[in-house]
Amino acid sequence: MALLEVENLSIGYHTQKGYLHAVEDISFSLEEGKSLGFVGESGCGKTTLGMALMRLLPPNGVIREGRILFDGADLLQKSDEEMREIRWQKIAMIFQAAMNALNPVHRVHEQIAEAILTHNASLEKKEAFEQVKELFRIVGIPEDRMRDYPHQYSGGMKQRAIIAMALACKPGLIIADEPTTALDVIVQDQILKEIMNLQKEFGISMIFISHDISVVAEVCHDIGIMYAGNLVEYGSREEVFSNPAHPYTKALLSSYPTLTGKKIRLIPIPGETPNLIHLPSGCRFRDRCPEAKAACKTGEAVWIETSPRHKALCYQCGADCK
Amino acid sequence: MKMNNGKKTIIELEHIVKRYTSRGSFFSARGKDIIALNKISVKILRGEIFGLVGESGSGKTTAGRLIVRLEKPEEGRIYLNGRKMAGLRGKALKDFPRKVQMIFQDPYQSLNPQISVFDTISEPLVIHKIGNAKDREDAVWQIMKSVGLSPPDDFVNRYPHQLSGGQRQRVAIARVMVLNPDFVVADEPTSMLDASISAQIFNILLEMREKLQVTLLFITHSLSAARYLCDRIAVIYKGNMMEMGSAEQVIQKPKHPYTKALIDALPKFGLSGEVNHYNTLLPVVREVSEHEGCPFFARCSVANKTKCSLKRPLLKETDNSHWVACFYAVNGAEKGF
Repeated sequence: MALLEVENLSIGYHTQKGYLHAVEDISFSLEEGKSLGFVGESGCGKTTLGMALMRLLPPNGVIREGRILFDGADLLQKSDEEMREIRWQKIAMIFQAAMNALNPVHRVHEQIAEAILTHNASLEKKEAFEQVKELFRIVGIPEDRMRDYPHQYSGGMKQRAIIAMALACKPGLIIADEPTTALDVIVQDQILKEIMNLQKEFGISMIFISHDISVVAEVCHDIGIMYAGNLVEYGSREEVFSNPAHPYTKALLSSYPTLTGKKIRLIPIPGETPNLIHLPSGCRFRDRCPEAKAACKTGEAVWIETSPRHKALCYQCGADCK
Repeated sequence: MKMNNGKKTIIELEHIVKRYTSRGSFFSARGKDIIALNKISVKILRGEIFGLVGESGSGKTTAGRLIVRLEKPEEGRIYLNGRKMAGLRGKALKDFPRKVQMIFQDPYQSLNPQISVFDTISEPLVIHKIGNAKDREDAVWQIMKSVGLSPPDDFVNRYPHQLSGGQRQRVAIARVMVLNPDFVVADEPTSMLDASISAQIFNILLEMREKLQVTLLFITHSLSAARYLCDRIAVIYKGNMMEMGSAEQVIQKPKHPYTKALIDALPKFGLSGEVNHYNTLLPVVREVSEHEGCPFFARCSVANKTKCSLKRPLLKETDNSHWVACFYAVNGAEKGF
């Protein structure tokens, strides 16, 4: 059985201008020890999805529909108290802008020890510090820097400390929301390698959220491409990249400059993402899509399977859809 | 330095040093000086897109700000069309901002929220007293079309909060290009934008170069963006120029260990198996001596412990306008890398 199974999840926000459809009808599953990456541009709902899995949506956010099955139990049926037990012990998160996630007035090792002690009250403080020492060794922060304050750390070290904190209670699942976005390439590379090693070593499942398709390609087994609240393509990394099926994925891939290969003119995606309050009918990508047809406006969403491990969402019905 | 293909130099930096003095902490009266740029010399040729690539804190933005006179260098000179910039007076000084402009990183902060798109774009023309009201309107319409804000009627009366990030950056570009400048510094113009929108901006910059014959200094942290846009690239690290050459030379045949480390670190779309690695980055940072050695010595795996720690290698031409500041790139050729 999959560790995490999400079925028909729809999430929205009540705003002054109306109901905003942030995530619509997303289903996926994650096996133990695997990693799944969600890629999309700003406003596609990827962070909302991550927050919903932790049940940490802001007060105006609502989960309209769907089930989040973690270890077979539906997280949406849990009470707040039960959820608090699950958070960090079973599901931990590496937040976006982790640079600012550490408290500046406490020493780093104390903050991580606090996370351990809160979830394991029977533990002695001394034992907790021992565990912190071990965590720091795992993420590669020298022991003599343990007692520093966050401002004494570089960006990469803060990120490592945040990863150590996510590992503190040995969770089965880690949700990493843009964990390397503010970092320089060399540091980013080191952190990504670190994350991959830890994931392998401890068999942790990971959900990796990023706007950067190349980062996700480096880390994840499976990839989900999101656009305007929809999951539009889902499959193994190899298949999604070598054989993209959805026009949005194709467009996204051809709008990235590359370092190797022939230098080709980038084809930007024309236009802007649709308004998520007043949704267009049919496919949300149709106004920007080079392959749009009349059916895209009126058709039903269908998942087209190009292989057992690769599928794409399409509104063009019937035979011309392959 | 010799002329490249007979093209004329438009901007020249000569031994530029820029220091920032930190205010110091509560306990010490004055902190240590931070060297943002350490004896940088570069010639940018008319009509080219020159890429300045570096990590955060490398001094790349400082270099751009020096060129548009937002900062003054402590040492060295900057020339515009052969004329010393520091010596500009009178009309030449007043005319300077019309010729040299800057596109800033964050379009969410660089546009005044209280000024409409039309006024934002026409303001530079008003300031420099170019044309009458009708001419200015034509110019604004023209430039809006060329940056893809079309039809202009849909946008002229909007305010920045009614625009998306990509549209804002187009307005910022239009505001700069409407002056028909000779030289534009573009400081990470797409780092706040999504990939698909970035590609739009890149293509607009390429079109602007064609149409307006403008020379661009493109400041970026991304080697792949630099490869796409630039004719020549300079790699800068801790204020030091490490390597400079054509985009192809620097990216396909990098010679400096730092450039190689940067290329190694870039994610390669899951193709890591097929890409050869240079492995020039030390896993553990090395102890550095007091001497002013190579700035990359502490992290370089090919460094010679005595040579590289004692002396700073100067930028030298290795072959065909490919400049590298590394002892081993010049003498030892490919050996060891």
